[in-house]
Amino acid sequence: MKRKYKDILLKDMTYIASFIGTFILFLIVMYLVIKGAGLIKIHLLTSNYNAETENAAVIEDYVYHDMTDHDGNYSKKWGIAFEDVTTSHKEEVISVSYIDENSPFNHLYSTVAGKNNQSVSIEEGSIVKNMYYLDDSGNKTFLSETMMKDAANLASILDEKATGIISINYQSMGGGIKGSLIVTMYLIVISLLISLPIGVSAAIYLHEYAKKSRLNSLIRQGIDTLTGVPSIIYGLMGVTVLFPITKLVGAKSTSVLLGALTMAVILLPTIISSTTEALIVVPQGLRDASLSLGATKSQTIFKVVLPSAINGILTGVLLSIGRVIGESAALVYTTSTVINDAPTILSQGTSLSLMIWSIMSSEQPNYELASAISLIILMVVFMINGVVKLVSKRFVKSFE
Amino acid sequence: MDTCFNIKDLDLYYGDKQALKKISMDIYKNKVTAFIGPSGCGKSTFLRCLNRMNDLIEGCRIDGTIMNEGHDIYSKNQDIVDLRTRVGMVFQKPNPFPMSIYDNIAYGPRCQGLKDKKKLDEIVITSLKQVALYDEVASRLHESAMGLSGGQQQRLCIARCIAMSPDVILMDEPTSALDPISTSKIEDLIMELKKDYTIIIVTHNMQQAARISDYTAFFLLGEVIEMTDTDTMFSNPKDKRTENYITGRFG
Repeated sequence: MKRKYKDILLKDMTYIASFIGTFILFLIVMYLVIKGAGLIKIHLLTSNYNAETENAAVIEDYVYHDMTDHDGNYSKKWGIAFEDVTTSHKEEVISVSYIDENSPFNHLYSTVAGKNNQSVSIEEGSIVKNMYYLDDSGNKTFLSETMMKDAANLASILDEKATGIISINYQSMGGGIKGSLIVTMYLIVISLLISLPIGVSAAIYLHEYAKKSRLNSLIRQGIDTLTGVPSIIYGLMGVTVLFPITKLVGAKSTSVLLGALTMAVILLPTIISSTTEALIVVPQGLRDASLSLGATKSQTIFKVVLPSAINGILTGVLLSIGRVIGESAALVYTTSTVINDAPTILSQGTSLSLMIWSIMSSEQPNYELASAISLIILMVVFMINGVVKLVSKRFVKSFE
Repeated sequence: MDTCFNIKDLDLYYGDKQALKKISMDIYKNKVTAFIGPSGCGKSTFLRCLNRMNDLIEGCRIDGTIMNEGHDIYSKNQDIVDLRTRVGMVFQKPNPFPMSIYDNIAYGPRCQGLKDKKKLDEIVITSLKQVALYDEVASRLHESAMGLSGGQQQRLCIARCIAMSPDVILMDEPTSALDPISTSKIEDLIMELKKDYTIIIVTHNMQQAARISDYTAFFLLGEVIEMTDTDTMFSNPKDKRTENYITGRFG
């Protein structure tokens, strides 16, 4: 009897353990969804992070048209609708929710010094700061943020009192991740361009050419160990060893290129070991067949062995992409933590993961945006894992 | 009769272990020579010496001479790639490349640098016809070879070998992974190929050796116990051990 209870107890303990694990994962995902899902829109991906203040005037010879109808706090006279919004920095502001094609707010020129009267238009989502309008007696009147009060009030002031719009001061919405997306893409492409050829070649040498020797097994062990080295150490190596290289091509400080080079070093062991594993799976019979047909060793490797191992190598590439997307520690010193909306290869910038670090360590941590970025990263990683499973299944199947 | 290989005092070692001991024999042109013997007796190892496939195995060392066309194939100036184009090989397990049927056969010639599409077409078609596979696959030359049955795959491997127009074809138990019908097709094919090629076949199946070979060598523990023409071997073996093996008392 005692034995039976013990058995049940142990079984239940494993149940509870697995439940706790799954439940915590579920909680994390739920938290991210609740906090961040609302922010995930196309706009998030295409807009800048840093809000830009713009001072703009209506083009003087602008011809006024009739506007189409729209819902909300809409000023039909000027073809613009407003809404009350709380920003991610907990500020109550009035933002533009709709703008008509013929609205004068769509036909502005910048009065900011240095912009040379460049033509601009207010985008939906921009925050209205203040404006000048002409009242019914033709006087230029200032409308400050406090005078606007809220979206409904602003719309009615414009509809009832304004006879003309002179200028407006507004702020673009900001909070987008465009720059970080671009940096992440750069990091993926450049680091793979470097590490893939080197890693695959190294794996070919170690598995196909090198004879069994102490040195060879030492190298293999070294590579296996490198996979487990904390990435912050690679970051340190990046600034000290690789920085002079990027300096040669013109980088003045830390740069996306430096981050990519560092990532390339981090990816090398992953790519070498996944390629080696793929080469091991390729049946010896194929190599024998090729050699027995008078092919040279290199012909055998490049025409038969590598094409057969391509799915395994692809798995390594996908895992590497996941690694680049998720990496943050190694990039802190190498790409810097400055969120850059228009990054180039030689400028600073943050990847998606690093952007989370950056916005969470600022004075007002932005949990919503961090959650939204986390969700995007999670989705990409899940997708990559799915594809990896599919590809490796097909790889093993192709030799059965 | 012309000889194709003259082997003299061949010793082969895997590290410290001696796998072949003082093997000497002549192999005749345009004949089928069969190697029989129990598992682990060294017959496959010996076969792989003839096109130097043992070079791939680490720790493998060879003493003695194998003369082919008046030249020792283990001499330093022997071009291995050239040797393997003259001495082709078919393996135990069908091992087509994971590419199309056409590309499988064109693989060897292409590796030699042949690019002419017309010549390749011709080689592919004649090779497939020689192994009687052409009619079965004519409509799907450009489909994957992995979709063929085991027997078809093995005939494809023979066609791939023939495409190099070798002098000798080495066959390492080519039917042991096949069903009886595919086996008999391959045996018919061997009888047919004998006109143009010297064939050396390793087999576990004594009936097969008796059916298709002209000469038979019996291997035991790394030594050739007896080698003679097949009829004599199976009707009147000289050595007691050969007789015991052939009559099924061991092995």
